[in-house]
Amino acid sequence: MKFHLPIFEVKNLNFNVAKENILDNISFDILQGEYIAIIGPNGGGKTTLIRMLLGLEKPTSGEIKIYGKRLKDFKRWDKIGYVPQRASHVDSNFPATVQDIVNMGRTSKRAMFSGMSTHDHEVVRDAMIKMDVLDLAQKIVGTLSGGQRQRVMCARALASSPEILILDEPNTGVDARSQNRFYALLRSLNKNEGITIVFITHDVGVIVDDIARLFTINQKATICNNPKQTLSCEDMSTLYGIDAHLVHNHKHGH
Amino acid sequence: MTEMLQYSFMQNAFIAGVVIAILASVSGTFVVLRRYSMISETLAHSALVGVAVGLVAGLNPLWVAVVVALLSSWLIEYLRSSFALYSDAVLAILLSGSLAVAVIIVSLGGAFNNSLFSYLFGSILSVSSGDVMMIVVVGGVALALLLIFSKELYFIAYDEEVAQTSGIKVKALNFLLVSVVAIIIALSVRVVGSLLIGALMVIPSVSALQFKKGFKSTTLLALLFAVVSVLFGITLSYEFSLPSGATIVLCVLFIFIVSLVLNNKK
Repeated sequence: MKFHLPIFEVKNLNFNVAKENILDNISFDILQGEYIAIIGPNGGGKTTLIRMLLGLEKPTSGEIKIYGKRLKDFKRWDKIGYVPQRASHVDSNFPATVQDIVNMGRTSKRAMFSGMSTHDHEVVRDAMIKMDVLDLAQKIVGTLSGGQRQRVMCARALASSPEILILDEPNTGVDARSQNRFYALLRSLNKNEGITIVFITHDVGVIVDDIARLFTINQKATICNNPKQTLSCEDMSTLYGIDAHLVHNHKHGH
Repeated sequence: MTEMLQYSFMQNAFIAGVVIAILASVSGTFVVLRRYSMISETLAHSALVGVAVGLVAGLNPLWVAVVVALLSSWLIEYLRSSFALYSDAVLAILLSGSLAVAVIIVSLGGAFNNSLFSYLFGSILSVSSGDVMMIVVVGGVALALLLIFSKELYFIAYDEEVAQTSGIKVKALNFLLVSVVAIIIALSVRVVGSLLIGALMVIPSVSALQFKKGFKSTTLLALLFAVVSVLFGITLSYEFSLPSGATIVLCVLFIFIVSLVLNNKK
């Protein structure tokens, strides 16, 4: 697949908290149609970086452009589907069925006074089928397991018909069978529907054949243009620390 | 019962009471889900400053209460979004500060204690036709705004950050929500009283949440609980010469306890 249009352009990004340098002079582009995996140790700044791409954190210095526009000038946020890391931590008393939550994915696409159109209902149903939550539609979301909630959050993101899907460790607490199904879905969304995917994961070994590039974030960013080659034990040890061996073994375990 | 409804002041009381119950319970669902319950208490005390200014200056206390509550809601939302970690402290400061200012204004104005008392604890039987008209029209506009943006407000209540990243104007809608709540509270101080309106806003929604239903069912249940409490509260208040605001709150508390017991049995 050829990639042309830069969706994200990040230049010399720095993020400091109380004089501590969380992210140090990070620059990269993410192109339309790419499947990017982001790995790195806990506390390395992966989630902070994603939050800055989404405008949820302000960088200390540096520039982020999205579709060629500075973040504050960008209006088409409905093109982005985001599944945060804490998606499974739902207030168990929140009055929402799974259907209510997935419907939220259509909120930005609907006009002010309009209800859900037939098209909206179709898109929501399709997202629920893809994430295997259709049979949970009328369940209260607070009664679901962590893994089921994660799938519901992913279905909500898919229901927004995104051009870019940003996922922050969405498969925490999801069983192995569902995880494999999820990876296959991401592959299909990227290859068949051209959706750009930015995926923070510790499970990079499993998706190494799917991704275009691998970003390693540990205060600084290292961009690997050939992930398969990079995923040798030696290189990963340098980039990722001791976890690299786990990642490598995991890959061969599948 | 029918004899009671022959009096125009009782008709006004029932109309104003039911409208306030609808306004308070529907907005209350959003308030509770956003964990803004303390805001209703703080705004009720800010509204009291407006009442005090209105009484001293000879203006309609309800109108001045609406203006002061609105200004206070914008200050709270600004401080809350700027200093998120201390938002509960901001509310506590404004709550006690507002009450102090209201009492000082009234005492400097002199001889208004009885009037202020009726706004503290509510005096539904003294609601005039003009008050009813104002509550219906202004409250209706506030409720319409809430309903127009209900799907966005619901999304924000569920996950503010994800709502923001999907393009929803979270900051503007947060201001809208507190503004609508401020207006509804200011309109309600005459009927339920500033010390008790928070209860009518929060308790029906918390009671409805015990039934663990979806959003629409929860909102409708909260509305039902609030309206039933107001109807029973006003009737009991008339029959037994009890203070109306406090009687309404006791009714809604009774429903809350029944909701808790019913849902813990399951």
